[in-house]
Amino acid sequence: MNRFDLSAAPVDLLRLREALQHPGSGGFCSFEGRVRNSNEGREVGGLEYEAYAELALAEGERILAEAIARHGVLAARCVHRTGALGIGDLAVWIGVSAAHRDEAFRACRYIIDEIKHRLPIWKKEHYLTGDTAWVACSHTERAHEHESPHAHPAAHHARHEHHDHALTDAALGAFTPDYSRQTRLRGVGAAGQAKLAAARVLVIGAGGLGCPVLSYLAGAGVGTLGIVDGDLLDASNLHRQTLYDARDIGQRKVDLAARRLAALNPAVRVHASPEPLHAGNVREVFAQYDLVVECTDDMRSRYLASDAAVLTGTPLILASVYQYEGQLQVVGARPGEPCLRCLWPDEPAPGAAGSCAQSGVLGPVPGVLGTLQAVEALKILLDLPRPVEPALLLVDLLEVGIQRLPIDASRGCVRHGGCVAVAQHALAQAQRDREVDVVFACLHDAIAAGYRLVDVREPDEIAAQPLDAPSCRVPSAQLAARTAELPPGRLLLVCASGRRSAQVARALRGQGVRDIYSLTGGVLALRPSHDRAPATTGGRSAP
Amino acid sequence: MTMVKLQYYAQLREQAGAGGEQWSTAAATLRELYEELRARHGFSLPSDALKVAVNAQFSDWDRALHEGDTVVFIPPVAGG
Repeated sequence: MNRFDLSAAPVDLLRLREALQHPGSGGFCSFEGRVRNSNEGREVGGLEYEAYAELALAEGERILAEAIARHGVLAARCVHRTGALGIGDLAVWIGVSAAHRDEAFRACRYIIDEIKHRLPIWKKEHYLTGDTAWVACSHTERAHEHESPHAHPAAHHARHEHHDHALTDAALGAFTPDYSRQTRLRGVGAAGQAKLAAARVLVIGAGGLGCPVLSYLAGAGVGTLGIVDGDLLDASNLHRQTLYDARDIGQRKVDLAARRLAALNPAVRVHASPEPLHAGNVREVFAQYDLVVECTDDMRSRYLASDAAVLTGTPLILASVYQYEGQLQVVGARPGEPCLRCLWPDEPAPGAAGSCAQSGVLGPVPGVLGTLQAVEALKILLDLPRPVEPALLLVDLLEVGIQRLPIDASRGCVRHGGCVAVAQHALAQAQRDREVDVVFACLHDAIAAGYRLVDVREPDEIAAQPLDAPSCRVPSAQLAARTAELPPGRLLLVCASGRRSAQVARALRGQGVRDIYSLTGGVLALRPSHDRAPATTGGRSAP
Repeated sequence: MTMVKLQYYAQLREQAGAGGEQWSTAAATLRELYEELRARHGFSLPSDALKVAVNAQFSDWDRALHEGDTVVFIPPVAGG
């Protein structure tokens, strides 16, 4: 069955809704676009839709498939009318079934936005004054010029810089990437461009470092880009994360980045995943790529990436920033080449390494370091000349200095059995640590599963947002000294985000407390109790 | 006394309130030097959490100090 249809006749809404009924669906969201009586200040008496049917059907299917994959919904359908319509008639109908309302709303919004921008559908407005105008649907907000329906609908806006227009071009098959400015380089040429097209690069983190990395690699025509990021866009990200804008706040960065990259270079395949890498999946994921660029603000992710790079032989480009400066290290992942642990053998204690949120950062600083990562990535993919000697790069943007400190591998992991043995040991430990983290959609499910709750937040946090289930209260900093107060049995520690609870649970396990766990994502990840679909109420281990 | 040139990165820069300084020290090794500076500036990180480089080469903490050395202390940073 087609998910996307064009229809010259009125649409049977009942049948469409019924087709989307699903036992796992806790939310159904639909959107109806209707013909209104005015546009751009002119009174409209009716309109006609005309579609380039073959292309509209193919692109419509693609949009629905994207919506399902990106937002994890169960099913989606869309019908767009063609032909003559009167005021109030249904022009487009979208329906989405999902486990929860959030995904349903998001997918619905995604579909209508993409359809407006990408489908080759035009409308001819009949004004009450007797004249008519053809309007490309992708420009309805600003369309006022009269144009022929058979002219290239995007062409007259082609010089306009908004990315959605380029996408319309792409949908029409008119866009061919032009890499001439880089293929002109002797070190690149057609052969180099072919190498880029065949390359698969994973970018972990689509934030301050990831934005320039993704933009430049997509622009350069890297054939496949993987993006991993579990975060939602926050207003505080916008001063340094240049792929996004103010309208995107609250949406998943992977979806936003994938959409932006598809607009930037439709020739690039983008695989976006909101599921964080962990000790259980990282080797398998790395093995699918030629090169990995680590761009998170998370020390644990950086060590995990270094271990996985060493074990899979996948080159890795690490970078991190602090206020006005940054560090960069290329891990060659070949025997004898140093890894991150050759420099700092163990992951620093949480908080010791700073973060953008705690320490602050000047927006362009990750821009510079991310851009350097992109340069290093292209050099590796294109086999361009680069220093043979592995080094740590220190970039000081206050003094405007770059210092290369050569890394002597013989003083690193070699003293502890070599990078491979060290990485194997660390990954096994990380895998054991993962067992600490458990996932529950609601606290009552945790209690039903046999856990006793320990709220490790500070008293003012608890007062602001008390748990809706019985719990013992001991602030995280005091827990190690107050274990005698803890109830017997299996304990589930709860904090605001899951960070403190995980840290304390691991520390206590280290001290021999066995049956202790941490609620993944903390209070922030709990669903309001009225918003749970029956299918998801069961507790399960973190994936 | 040995005169050395010090460079601080990341948290150390912040805690010292400067990117570097000229310093006259009686310390014999890098480790002693760092402990001296830690007391002076209140550095929160222990030497084990840092890398140290002398004259643009990473070094062991036991290395002896020489007149005119440029010493760089480098903590790992996490921001992105």
